[in-house]
Amino acid sequence: MLRNIYIRQLFILLVILINTSCEDFVEIETPKHKIVSATVFAEDETAISAMTGIYNELFNADFSGGWRSSVSVLSGLSSDVLEPVNSNSVSNAEFNQNEISPNNDYNFNLWSSTFNIIYMTNALLEGLSNSEGVSEEVSLRLEGEASFIRAFSYFYLVNLYGDVPIILSTDYEQNSLVTRNNREAVYELIIEDLEASIVFLDSHTESEDRTRVNKFVATAMLARVYLFMEDWEKAEILSNQVLAETSKYEILENLDEVFLPNSKEAIWQISPIGGNVLTNTNEGSVYIGTSRSSIKLSDQFVSSFSLEDKRLDQWVGFYSDTNRAFHFPFKYKDRSSTNNITEYSMVLRLAEQFFIRAEARARTGNLSGAIADLDEIRSRSNLETISESNPGIGQEQLLELIQEERKKELFSEWGHRWLDLKRTNRASEILSPFTSWEDTDVLYPIPEEDRMKNPNLTQNDGY
Amino acid sequence: MKNNYSRLKWVALIILGGIFFFLSKAAHAATTNILFFLQQEVTGIVSDENGVPVPGVTVTVKNTRRGAVTKLDGQYEITAPANGALVFSYIGFKTFEVAIDGRSEINIQLEEDIASLGEVQINAGYYNTTARKRTGNIARVSGEEIEMQPIVSPLEALQGRMAGVEIQQRSGVPGSAPIIRIRGQNSLRNSRDDNGNLPLYIIDGVPVNSSPLGGSSLNGTTGIDPLNTLNLSNIESIEVLKDADATAIYGSRGANGVILISTKSGKSFEQKTQVEARLYSGVGEVSNKMELLNTEQYLQIRNQAFENDGLEPNQNNAYDLLVWDNYLYTDWQEELYGGTAEITDLNLSVSGGNATTSFRIGGSYHEEGTVFPGDFKYSKVTGGLNLNHRSKNEKLQLNLSLNYGVDNNNLFGSDSFISDALTLPPNAPRLYNDDGSLNWEDLTWDNPLANLQNSSNDQVNNLVTSLGISYEILEGLTFKTNAGYTNLYRNQKGITKKESFRPDIRDSREHSSSERTNIRKSWIIEPQLTYSAKIGAGNLEALVGMTFQESENDNLRISGDGYVSESLIGNLEAAESVEVTEYINIMYKYTALFARLGYNWKEKYFVNLTGRRDGSSRFAPNKRFANFAALGTAWIFSEESVVKENIPFLSFGKLRGSYGTTGSDQIPDYGFLDAYEATPGPGGLYPTQLTNPNFSWEENKKLEAALELGFLKDRINLGVSWYRNRSSNQLVGFPLPSTTGFPSIQANLPATVQNTGWEVEFSSLNISTKDFRWQTSFNFTLPETKLVEFPNISQTSYENVYRVGYPLNIALLYNYEGIDPETGLYQVQDINGDGNFSYEDRTVIEELGRQYYGGISNNLSYKNFSLQFLWQFVKQTGYDEYFSAPGFISNQPENVFQGIADGELQQASQNFTAAIPYSFARNSVHFISDASFLRLKTLGFSYKIPEELLQNWKIEGFRLFLNAQNLLTFTEYNGLNPEYPGGGSLPSLRTVTGGLQINF
Repeated sequence: MLRNIYIRQLFILLVILINTSCEDFVEIETPKHKIVSATVFAEDETAISAMTGIYNELFNADFSGGWRSSVSVLSGLSSDVLEPVNSNSVSNAEFNQNEISPNNDYNFNLWSSTFNIIYMTNALLEGLSNSEGVSEEVSLRLEGEASFIRAFSYFYLVNLYGDVPIILSTDYEQNSLVTRNNREAVYELIIEDLEASIVFLDSHTESEDRTRVNKFVATAMLARVYLFMEDWEKAEILSNQVLAETSKYEILENLDEVFLPNSKEAIWQISPIGGNVLTNTNEGSVYIGTSRSSIKLSDQFVSSFSLEDKRLDQWVGFYSDTNRAFHFPFKYKDRSSTNNITEYSMVLRLAEQFFIRAEARARTGNLSGAIADLDEIRSRSNLETISESNPGIGQEQLLELIQEERKKELFSEWGHRWLDLKRTNRASEILSPFTSWEDTDVLYPIPEEDRMKNPNLTQNDGY
Repeated sequence: MKNNYSRLKWVALIILGGIFFFLSKAAHAATTNILFFLQQEVTGIVSDENGVPVPGVTVTVKNTRRGAVTKLDGQYEITAPANGALVFSYIGFKTFEVAIDGRSEINIQLEEDIASLGEVQINAGYYNTTARKRTGNIARVSGEEIEMQPIVSPLEALQGRMAGVEIQQRSGVPGSAPIIRIRGQNSLRNSRDDNGNLPLYIIDGVPVNSSPLGGSSLNGTTGIDPLNTLNLSNIESIEVLKDADATAIYGSRGANGVILISTKSGKSFEQKTQVEARLYSGVGEVSNKMELLNTEQYLQIRNQAFENDGLEPNQNNAYDLLVWDNYLYTDWQEELYGGTAEITDLNLSVSGGNATTSFRIGGSYHEEGTVFPGDFKYSKVTGGLNLNHRSKNEKLQLNLSLNYGVDNNNLFGSDSFISDALTLPPNAPRLYNDDGSLNWEDLTWDNPLANLQNSSNDQVNNLVTSLGISYEILEGLTFKTNAGYTNLYRNQKGITKKESFRPDIRDSREHSSSERTNIRKSWIIEPQLTYSAKIGAGNLEALVGMTFQESENDNLRISGDGYVSESLIGNLEAAESVEVTEYINIMYKYTALFARLGYNWKEKYFVNLTGRRDGSSRFAPNKRFANFAALGTAWIFSEESVVKENIPFLSFGKLRGSYGTTGSDQIPDYGFLDAYEATPGPGGLYPTQLTNPNFSWEENKKLEAALELGFLKDRINLGVSWYRNRSSNQLVGFPLPSTTGFPSIQANLPATVQNTGWEVEFSSLNISTKDFRWQTSFNFTLPETKLVEFPNISQTSYENVYRVGYPLNIALLYNYEGIDPETGLYQVQDINGDGNFSYEDRTVIEELGRQYYGGISNNLSYKNFSLQFLWQFVKQTGYDEYFSAPGFISNQPENVFQGIADGELQQASQNFTAAIPYSFARNSVHFISDASFLRLKTLGFSYKIPEELLQNWKIEGFRLFLNAQNLLTFTEYNGLNPEYPGGGSLPSLRTVTGGLQINF
C-alpha cells in the first residue's frame, strides 16, 4: 500500500537524521567563564595566568593566607608566642594547649588547603609537559615557579605532620589511596624541586614585583631547608648568595617599612590582590586588636622584649576596653580596607637569611661572622650589638641568642618559633611548663576525616 | 563548532524537503476524495434541556471534516449530504448524532453531560487524551478556576487543587517563587543553586527554564519565579503529568513531573468579535501575626534575668532598661509589616474569527503594593496573541502563540526586616524624631527603617512564543512541527546608601551599588508525525517526533563602590571601583527522538507505549544518550456486560497501571569538563574541581496503580492512585581525601530515594436542578519519602542532613532532658559523653514536612449567583519560630511569659552561659511542634446581571464578583507562617478584591 510506503520512507528518514545529527548536535562549546585545561596550556598568556592563579590563591588558601587556619596563626598558637583571647574557640585552644583533636577543623583546613595548592602546581606542571604551544622560555620559568610552590608547600607539610604522602600528579584515583612517605623522601623532593627552580629561573629577568618567585626566592628557601637539615655549609653558601645581592635586598632601618609592598627587605610576598574585594592582609585583620579579637600575643612573650627594643614599640600593639586588655602583633597596620593595597603579606625576608647565615657560621665555628650577622638585626632594633657588649661570647650562648633573636624578630610570621623549637629539640623543654605537653605533640595529627576516606593514611603517634 | 551549524542547516533542509514532498503527494491524494451524494442545506436551532439556545456547539457532518458552529441564538447552517448524519458536540453536553434523512431543518435538544468525563480534552504534551481514556496520571486545573485569583505566580493558584502536587509559598512578598514538588523530593540535591527537584515546565509546547531567578532583598531566600510574567487570565489550563506513562515521553527531563501550561486561544472559528474586560481591585494584609510580649511583660523578664544572673544592669548590657523609655510600647509587627497592600488588576481580551482564522489578543496590568512602610510595589504588564488558521479543507493548520510579560519588583534591600519585627523589644525607641528624621536613640539601636533607603529594583522581561504547523498528509496521517523561542531578560539594581548605616560607622562606609543581569534564551524545533487508524475493533494512535533544543544562560553581577554622591549611586561610570563578581555563560543543547503507540480495543482495553531516546550536553561525551520508556495500561471494566448487568449503579469503572523510567538532567552544566576558571583575584586561572568524565543523569523509575470509579451516571467520581517512584544514580559529591586536592568529586552514586504515596480524588454533583447546582471536589495525598540507600553517607557533606532509612525532610536533634533544676536552664543529653555537643549527640530523628495534605472545594450556583470556595489542609510538623533565649534583648512570644512563670521554660537570663543550652534545646523536640493548618484558600462570589437588563446596552454579559484569598487560617502553630515553619518569612497575604467583568 502506498500509505505504508510513505510511512516507511519517513521512518527511514528519521532514523538517518538521528544517527547523523544528534551526536554532533549536543556537542557544546566551552563556556566563556571556563577554559579547557588543554587550551590553558596552548599559549603563553593563559599558561602564565594559571601561575598567577596559584599566586592569587595562596592568599586565599588557609595554610598560606595568614587567616585563622594559617601556619602563622596555628603554629604561633602551638609555640609560646600567640594565645587565644578567650577560650571560646575550641579549635584555637587545642592548638594552644597542644591537645589537637584529629577532628579539629582548623587542622583539617591547614592540611587540605596545602594539598589543594599542591594539586594546582601539579596540574600546571602536567599541563606544561603536555603542551606544545607554550614557548620554551615561558615554560621553563613557570616550571621553576610551580616547582618552588610545591617545595614550599611540602616544607610546611613535612615540618608540621612528619611523614606525608608525596603527590606528583592530578590523578584522583591514585591520589585517594596514597600512603605516607618518610621525611627523608619528602626532603629529597623539596631539594629537587628547589634546585630545579633555581636552574629554571636563572636566566629569567625578575620583575619588580616581589610577589613572583625568582631564583633568589628559591635560593633563600633552599638555604632554610639546609639549615633545617643541619647542613651548615650549604646553608651558609646559599644564604650568602642572597645576602650578596645588596642592590636588591637590604635590611630597612625603619621597621614600619618592612611589610610594605615590594619593600627592599622582602624576598617573597603574597599580595592581597588575590582576595579580590578587601585589600588588607589577613594578618592585619586577624591580629590587630579589636573587641572581637580572638588571637593575642602571650604576656610572657611580650615581656621578653627589652624596653629600648624598637620592635616592642613598632611591631607590638596594645588593645584595651572595659572587658579586655592585651598585646597583639602589629607588623601589619591595615586591618580592613578596600581598593587600597598598602601592605603585602611577608613570606620570606632578608632578616631570616642573616639568621640562617649566623647560625650556620656559629655552628661551623665562625663566631665573629655569626656575631656580625646577628648584630645587623640587633642594631636595627636599637639593641646593643654583641660585638660591643659581649665580643667573647661562647658558641652555645651565641646559638641560644640567635634563637632568642629569631623569636623576637620573626614572631607571628609563618610559625618560625614553632619550627625552631622543634628542629632544635627544645619544644618539650620550653612548652611543657605551660601545657599538658607530651613529646608526641611536636607533630600535628593527620585529620580524621581524611583517614576515614583513605584507610592507607596512618596516624601520628600520640593521637 | 561551525560544523554543528552546517549540520543543523542540513537537517533543516531535509525536514523541509520532506514536508514539501509529502505536501505534494497529499495534495494529489486529496483531490481524489470526491463526495458522491447530493448536497443540501440544513439549518436548525440547538438548545439545552431547558430550551435555552446554546451557542458555540460544533456541528459536523459525520465522517467528514466539514463543520459549523451555532451562533448566539443557537442557530446553525451547514451543507450536508441528504443521506448523511450530523454530529453535535459541545463541552458539558453529551455528543448527539442524528441522521439527516433529507430534512432541511433539524432542531436539537442537547442533554447535559453531568461529569463530562469523556469530553474534556486533557493535554498530555505531545498528544491529547480524555479523563476516560487516559492510561497515565494527569491532573488538570482549568483557567476558570484560577483566573480570578489576585496572586502573582500561576503556580500558587494550584495550591490545594491537585493531589500529589505540593506547593509551598514560602513568602508573602509578591513575586516570591513557590516551591513545587510533584510526588515528593527525588533528588538529594535540594539547595537553591543546585537543585535536582524542579519539574519540567512547558508553555504552549515550549520548555522554559523554571529555576527561580536568584533573589535580592526580601525575595532573597525564595528567588523570583520566572513564571510571574505570565498573565493568569490568559491560561486555558494547567496540566500536571505525574506517572511514568505520562512523563516517560519527556525522557531525561521527566523525573520530577511535567507541568504543561496552555494559553487561551480564540474559542472557535466563525465567531463574532468578542471583547472581555475585567477589572478588580482590593486590599491585602498579612494573614497572620504573632502574639508577642508587651512592654510590661518584656521588662519584667529582663529584670528577672539580671536578678537570676546576680548582675547589676549597666548601660552596656541593659540599654533597654536604663536608656530606653520604659513606658513606650510599639507593636513592631504593625509598624514593619502591618500595612495594607493595594491590588489592582485590569484585563482585556478580544477574540474572534472567520471560517479559517481565529484570534485572541489579550493584555493585562497587575499592581500590588506591599505591607511594608514606604512606597514599594510589584507591577506587571502582559500582552498575548494567539492566532489559529486552517485551510478550507482543514488539512493545514497553523497556530501561533505569543506571550510577553514585564514585571517589576520595587522593594528595598533588607533581609532582616521580618525578624526585626519579631525581635525588637516592645519598648525600642521611636522610629522618627520630631523633625521627621530617623531616630538612632544615641546609637543604642539600628533603626530598621534605615534600610528603606536602599532600593532594589528588579525587572523581568519574558517572551515565550510558539508556532505550530500541521498538515494532514493522508487521512489519519499528520505531519506537525512545533517551533518555539523564549527570551527572558532580568535586570536587578540595588543601591546601598551611606545613610542607611548607623551614624557612628557611616563615615567608614561608602555608597555602593549592585547590578545583576540574567539572560535566558532558548529555541526548540520538534517535527512530528502522528497517525491514527481503526485497526480491528480498536483504535491505533501513533506518534513519532524529534526535538532539537538549544538554550543559553548568562549571569552577570557587577558591584560598584565609592560613589561620591547619592545621586550617582548605580551609575557604574561614577563608581570609584567596579567589580564583576559573577560571570557565567552556559550553553545547553538537547536532542531527542520520541515515540508513542497507543491502542484501545473497543474503548475497553487500553495500552499506551511511550519512549524517548535523548541526548543532553550536560552529560559527559561517553554518556550523552539514554533511552527511557514506559508502558501504561487501562481496563474500563464497567464496559464489560457482566459488570453492566450486575452493578447498575456503577456508571464507570477503570483500572489502570503504569511502569517506566524517566531521568533528571538537572545536574550542573559542564560537570564533565576539565577546565580552569578565573580566580577571584585578577589575571589568574585555576582549576576549581576535579573532573569526572562519567557524569550522568539521575534515574527515576515510576510505578503506579489506580482505580477510577463513577457512580450514578458519573455524578459521583472517585479516583485512588498508589505510586512508587525510585530515584537512583544520585549525583552527589563523592568524598575524597584532601590528598587529591579537593574534598569530593561529583559522581553518580547508587544512593536511592523512594517516594511512595496514595492519592485520592473525589468529585460529586450533589444537586443539579434548573436553578441550583452544587458541586464538590476533594483531593487528598498521603506521601512518604525515604532514603533507601546511600553508601558511605557518613563521609559526605550529606552526613548531617540525611539518614538512611528515614525521610529526606528530617531534623537531627538532641535528646531533650528538660530543665536542669540547679541552673534552671535547658538540658540535652551528651550521648557519647565527650563533654561536647556535636552532631554525634544529635541522635533523635524527627520527621518534618507534610504528613498529608489536600483540598476541598465547593462550587454552588443559584440562578445568577455563584459561590465557590476552596479549603486547603496540611498536616505537618515544623520548627517553632526562632527567638533568642528569654532574658536577652529580644522580644518573645507572649506565651513565654507564662511559660517562665510556670517553670516550663528555661529561666530568664542574659548570660552567655544561658544562650548555649538554649541553642542546644532549639535543636531538640522541645522546639518542634505541630504546624498543621486548615486554610480557606480562596472564596469567590459572583453575580451575573440578567441578560434582559443588558440588552439595551449591547452588552452580552456583565458580572460582579468578590474574591478572597487566605481569608481564614486555623492552626495551632506558634509561629509566624505555618506554610514555612521556622522560616521567619512573611506569611501569605490575606486579600479581598472586588470587581466586574463585561463582555461585548
